[in-house]
Amino acid sequence: MRRNPFVYYGKKALIFLLSVFLLSVTVFYISRLAPGDPLMSYYGERVEKMSVEEKETARGKLGLNEPIYIQYIRWVENAIKGDFGISFKYKQDVMQVIGSRIGSTLILGGTGFVLTFVGALLLGILCAWYEDRWVDRLLCKGGTLLSCIPEFWLSLVLILVFAVTLHLLPGSGAYDVGYKNNVLNRIEHLILPLVIVVLQHLWYYAYMIRNKLLEEIGADYVLLGKSKGLSKRKIMFRHCLRNVLPSYISLMAISVPHVVGGTYIVETVFSYPGIGALSYESARYHDYNLLMVLCMMTGILVIFCNMIGQIINEKLDPRIKATEVVETSEVTEL
Amino acid sequence: MTEKELFTVVGIRPEPPAPKKKVKRLKGFPWISGILLALILLCCLFAELLMTKEPGYLDLQNFNVAPNGEFLFGTDTLGRDIFSGIWYGGRISLTIGFLATLISTLIAVVYGSVSGIAPGWLDALMMRFTEIFLSIPGLLMVLFLQAILGQANVLSLSVVIGVTGWASIAKVVRTEVRQIRNSEYVVASKCMGGKFPHILRKHLAPNFIASIMFMVVMNVRGAIGSESTLSFMGMGLPLEIISWGSMLSLSEKALLTDSWWIIIIPGAFLVTLLMCLTNIGNYLRKSANRKESNL
Repeated sequence: MRRNPFVYYGKKALIFLLSVFLLSVTVFYISRLAPGDPLMSYYGERVEKMSVEEKETARGKLGLNEPIYIQYIRWVENAIKGDFGISFKYKQDVMQVIGSRIGSTLILGGTGFVLTFVGALLLGILCAWYEDRWVDRLLCKGGTLLSCIPEFWLSLVLILVFAVTLHLLPGSGAYDVGYKNNVLNRIEHLILPLVIVVLQHLWYYAYMIRNKLLEEIGADYVLLGKSKGLSKRKIMFRHCLRNVLPSYISLMAISVPHVVGGTYIVETVFSYPGIGALSYESARYHDYNLLMVLCMMTGILVIFCNMIGQIINEKLDPRIKATEVVETSEVTEL
Repeated sequence: MTEKELFTVVGIRPEPPAPKKKVKRLKGFPWISGILLALILLCCLFAELLMTKEPGYLDLQNFNVAPNGEFLFGTDTLGRDIFSGIWYGGRISLTIGFLATLISTLIAVVYGSVSGIAPGWLDALMMRFTEIFLSIPGLLMVLFLQAILGQANVLSLSVVIGVTGWASIAKVVRTEVRQIRNSEYVVASKCMGGKFPHILRKHLAPNFIASIMFMVVMNVRGAIGSESTLSFMGMGLPLEIISWGSMLSLSEKALLTDSWWIIIIPGAFLVTLLMCLTNIGNYLRKSANRKESNL
């Protein structure tokens, strides 16, 4: 099918903008309609001592008294100019608050993602290679068990074993006091969270690779390859893997938000100063401006990765229609 | 004939009893998981008979006690007996699991059936929506909603988990409905004036129940996991409401005092339960697939 690239990407961009718009409206309304007092995050405990009039003035100062749609329009106007307001809790520009923290999350999420991507591929191939032998069975059982363990509990157990009992690795934070610029110290702090992020997702994708490879092995061309004398390795890597990779890559593109979402919880358990702990705080204390930007960032990441996944799929394998991508991802999820 | 009888005429053909198949159906059933699950369910149900202490009682003289003869699983940092808490709190965890799944299954069945029966454009729109929904990490959505809603109780937590977990079931329901919506019996039922709820109950549901059963079981698993994560992070159930998650929310304090039993014991129960559910779910998936391939 030949498409006009201009129309093709134009359409994608339009859908993207529309999704971002809908997302921002939804988050804006939900966060403001939900019960809770944003003044708490601005004034802290002092709120309880404030009189009703004082609260009113404070709300007026923060622009929270107007109807929500007017607040929304004002937010959009400012956002287009690059001004996302101040964080109620930190009394700082939202972008500054996020900027000081985003590095840690990117390192954790990025490394975790790459390790998961490569590790799952290798594990999947290993399992498919030794199908139904003890390696495969052991890994399958282990993987199922691992998928049943909640992320936070695994983190706790690892902290208990490696930090509290064995004193091998630090159990919280991103660096020790006074070692801010020490790379080794930072890496030490990164190990445990990273292990959790990787373990949590590794099996899920490895299993998908394994099953897809096994499906491929049943195909006719494998028989042909075998009959013309190709080795098992050649058939597996040159032919089968090649057919599996496109769907794997597009699946991984879609999974970026899931891996990043996983880091959010890990960060809170390890008190790792990243975006995750921040978004949790902002939602909890109704820090509207901060919450809005964090939600938009996560949302845009989700939408963007989905689109990349679709585009990769359509380019690499024209047989697959865009909608099928999500279906494959869903099957493996279960 | 009354109207009701007329409808039952075109209902699904009653299957002839096949005792042989029943034996086959249980082949490969994960007995260990099944028995463990039944055991946990029973113990939680009859918690009063097992409990050696009042689960909510703060025994200030015996806090942080390691497992011994009196406190079988030790006590937590507030002095509550963990052994009693496990059974008592298991109820809450299981209730949330089942309630949340009930909510999401109901939403999924209605949404999926409507989407399956609806004209093409509406179907496409509704499916696009579920795809967007699916692409957002579920736990993040639950966290976000619950954080905004503030203090949780059993019902609100179930609702939050329920309304975020229906999308994948809805997709399967929709696919199944699409396949059978033009079958003679559905058309016939429609011609005789069968309304949507009737068609859904009598003709559609019996067809897709087998294929969603495994997802429903997995949904229970997911809901229990979400509850514990949320409660652990301090956004789910408060400490006074004992559940496996809220028992684990004390574990940060426990880490400081090196009291492993506070972390390991409730967690081990949680993981065992989730593992049992997974095994049963996988069995259901296999048996649903097997049925399909036999046809």
